[in-house]
Amino acid sequence: MWSIIITHLPNWKVCVQAVLSLVIALVLYYVNKYFRSLVEKKNAPAQKARRGERPAEQAHLSDEYEENLHAIKQAISSNSDVHFREFQVAELQARAMLIYVDGMQDEEMISKYVMKILMEDVKQDMTDGSVLFNPLEFSAYFQNKVLPVCETYEAKELHGLNQSILIGFTALLIEGVPHALLIGTSGMKTRAISEPSSEALLRGPRIGFTEVLSENTSMLRRQGYSEDLEINMYEVGARIKRKLVIAYMKEIVNPDLLQEVRDRVGKINMDFIAESGYVEQFIEDDYLSPFQQAQNTERPDRVISGLLEGRIAILLDGTPFALIVPTTFSMLLQSPEDYYDRWLPGTLLRMLRFFAAFLALMSPALYISFISFHPGLIPTELAVTIIETRQGVPFPSLIEVMILEISIEILREAGIRLPKPIGPAMGIVGGLIIGEAAVQAGIVSPFLVIVVAVTAISSFSIPVYSAGITLRILRFVGMLCAAVLGMFGTILFILFICGHISKLKSFGVPYVTPISPFRFNDWKDLFLRTPLPFMTKRPDMMKTQDKKRR
Amino acid sequence: MYRFKNLLVFLLLSSLFLTQGCWSSKEIEDLSVYAGLALDVGERPDIERDLEGQGANYFKRDLITATIQIIPIKSFERQEKSKAKQVVKYSNLRLTGDSVFEIMRQYSTRRERPVIGHHLKVIVVSTKLAKQHQMDQLMDFALRDNDIRPSCRVFFSEGRAFDTFLSDQPEEVPAFRLNAMLNNSFRSNKIMKEVNLTRIDGLLRSKQSFLLQNIVSSKGEIQFSGAGIIKGATSKWIGNLNQENVESLSWIQGTGQGGLIKSYDWRNKIITYEIKSMHSKTTAKLQGDAISFHVAIESTGRLIENWDTKENPSKLEYLEGAEKVFEKRLTTMINHVMQKTQSKYKVDVAGFGKVLAIKYPKKWKEIKDNWDEVFSRVPVTFEIKLKITDFGSSTE
Repeated sequence: MWSIIITHLPNWKVCVQAVLSLVIALVLYYVNKYFRSLVEKKNAPAQKARRGERPAEQAHLSDEYEENLHAIKQAISSNSDVHFREFQVAELQARAMLIYVDGMQDEEMISKYVMKILMEDVKQDMTDGSVLFNPLEFSAYFQNKVLPVCETYEAKELHGLNQSILIGFTALLIEGVPHALLIGTSGMKTRAISEPSSEALLRGPRIGFTEVLSENTSMLRRQGYSEDLEINMYEVGARIKRKLVIAYMKEIVNPDLLQEVRDRVGKINMDFIAESGYVEQFIEDDYLSPFQQAQNTERPDRVISGLLEGRIAILLDGTPFALIVPTTFSMLLQSPEDYYDRWLPGTLLRMLRFFAAFLALMSPALYISFISFHPGLIPTELAVTIIETRQGVPFPSLIEVMILEISIEILREAGIRLPKPIGPAMGIVGGLIIGEAAVQAGIVSPFLVIVVAVTAISSFSIPVYSAGITLRILRFVGMLCAAVLGMFGTILFILFICGHISKLKSFGVPYVTPISPFRFNDWKDLFLRTPLPFMTKRPDMMKTQDKKRR
Repeated sequence: MYRFKNLLVFLLLSSLFLTQGCWSSKEIEDLSVYAGLALDVGERPDIERDLEGQGANYFKRDLITATIQIIPIKSFERQEKSKAKQVVKYSNLRLTGDSVFEIMRQYSTRRERPVIGHHLKVIVVSTKLAKQHQMDQLMDFALRDNDIRPSCRVFFSEGRAFDTFLSDQPEEVPAFRLNAMLNNSFRSNKIMKEVNLTRIDGLLRSKQSFLLQNIVSSKGEIQFSGAGIIKGATSKWIGNLNQENVESLSWIQGTGQGGLIKSYDWRNKIITYEIKSMHSKTTAKLQGDAISFHVAIESTGRLIENWDTKENPSKLEYLEGAEKVFEKRLTTMINHVMQKTQSKYKVDVAGFGKVLAIKYPKKWKEIKDNWDEVFSRVPVTFEIKLKITDFGSSTE
């Protein structure tokens, strides 16, 4: 460039170009810098301070029943769903109080196993004949010998007690006992386990995660018995707490990776973590990248196979979407079905998906660059047909493609939001009608309808929905590049993407790993899906402790 | 420097966008694709005469009339397909001038859309024009133009080249028809191997004589008929070979992919030989200063047609007899073409020079400047072996 500038110095156009390129570069540089600084600011250890500022009133329960009751009532009785049920313990002649949140309890269980026993049966149950008048002893006796409930705790501290009640425990206060008994009688209504709707398979388990964390972890356990599978519980959310679980295979996972994941999860700092998408956004490496760096899935089988490759799963309470990290590019185009089918169809389908991803990303861009920059590159017969069909189309190809692409995107979005019964039909019919009518009206050419349709169908065939969104975003960028610079721009665009994803890392693992850095062993599971007996090693890229699959 | 690494990266990237030069797009429908170019002796059509009469004139000599075949012409009547009117798929536009390039640009004054040559398939030159002007002058524009692909094929036309661009089938584009007809060469060795711009370029630069497939036309019908000869020294058209000569040349070069030999047997009945394979090997000999060539031709084929009902083709003697008849017929054919090229036109179009150049490069260097002259005196011997391996499915 400099030599051109020097030799053409009197040529003002070149000078303007040089200055412009400098200006553009500077703008890009500072925009980039600004964004990076934002990231750093965000990661600054501001959360430490906040965590420290809550020394929590370490108020203990006192011996006085009335006092305790008063304290609890003051703290939580403004909630209309907290129920207080007072009764008499038959044996002690003492007052007792059950405190619980409505709707989170199995009320039958409370009345049958707690109240009934306390109000009637305790006496008969005292088989050794001794009579207890000390409430403290009675409490221990009740907890250890009479109460047939799995989860019981003693709570002495007021704040913790209040929280436990709100989480779903039933608290039992007995007159004369200086602590409360927390009884796990939770019986929340949950959704039935159903097939994951975002990742449908033809062959494979029809089981998907639900919104209840314990059920999800149990689903992982139920995949098979292993002492290796470790499930660690964390709490996230500063104001509303939520349970978060990290699952991994103890003897496979790379300990550095595990530590990194723990650190990042520990750094999450927000009022409320509503969905695993929040977690994903907090722990990902590069938030400017259009590519997702954590894979979300609804399928326990997928999670388990990820764990066996040395990855780590993050499950959050309240969402059926688990995250698998680190994620590599090839994972986005793989489906569990590849492994369930025989290897030949698996390989074929996987290669087809790679091709479909290319089409979904590039075909409108290629269309634009061919149509408006390089008519000589189209086979003659096809060129003639295209010219014929494009006669009378009033728009340049970019606008033409945009019209159709955007309407397809809107249709797709509308299809999701529409009520289920009419959703898909609406989408298809709308697409057909718009396509056909637009051609009839001469706004777009029929050839373009084919291109856009192929693009849309290709992007549907990508097994991970959010990867499809990435391609959808990039497709528009590609179209703009093609419209400005033709094939040159298209190739530039591809190079940009290649550069970006080869620089991208997910938890220290390069995004396009088996390709670059080159790990031949992992190529067996990249484009091809080699027969299972050949896949004797875990992916090299994960640097697992245990290299061999057994 | 490391501090500004990103800045440097962005600078280089933005220079990519700014210093390259294809910002301007041209939509495909705003262009005229021309599929054929016909070059004729300058002869202004009536319309042009009329237009020039009204002052549409510029400084020129009327040496060449160039015709371009533009596809597809308007078909905006897509909506009114019901009319069932047969739409002509192409339009021929003729202009007269002297520089081919100037003529190409002159089309812009006649049509709304600029012509592009990416899809140019055939160039047809009338023999009359090739007789007047040198081939390298006529082809110069086509060879230099960046738009035109080197795979574009070149033909001669016996009559007006323009006539080969007319078709009685309105749905069909004549340039495409011409282009596709070459694909039939596996059916008949009367169709020559294609000569495209790349080959023409090489041949013209090395001043070799060569052949171009000749087209004759009548009322929208065309036919490949023999070939026109360009003499290397003058680069002009000097004469034609007929269909049989072209066939014989393919035997000498062993390039034929199919075809037949028809002859008359001892009872003067028609018998025909279908070629299944064809090989030839030309060897050059140099004894002292005397050059000679020997061509060994081998072929296998089947007896495909036999009008002689008295004979039994499944008999070996009969087949051997038939082989002799065909060999004799082929010898006559080859002698005809050798006589024509060596004595009448004095040109080497069968590639003997190349064989000599490979085997005796020193000798070739000496004589290559007047090789055509030398060739006309060089003795060429032939050895022909035809083998009938099969007499078809019909037998007695």
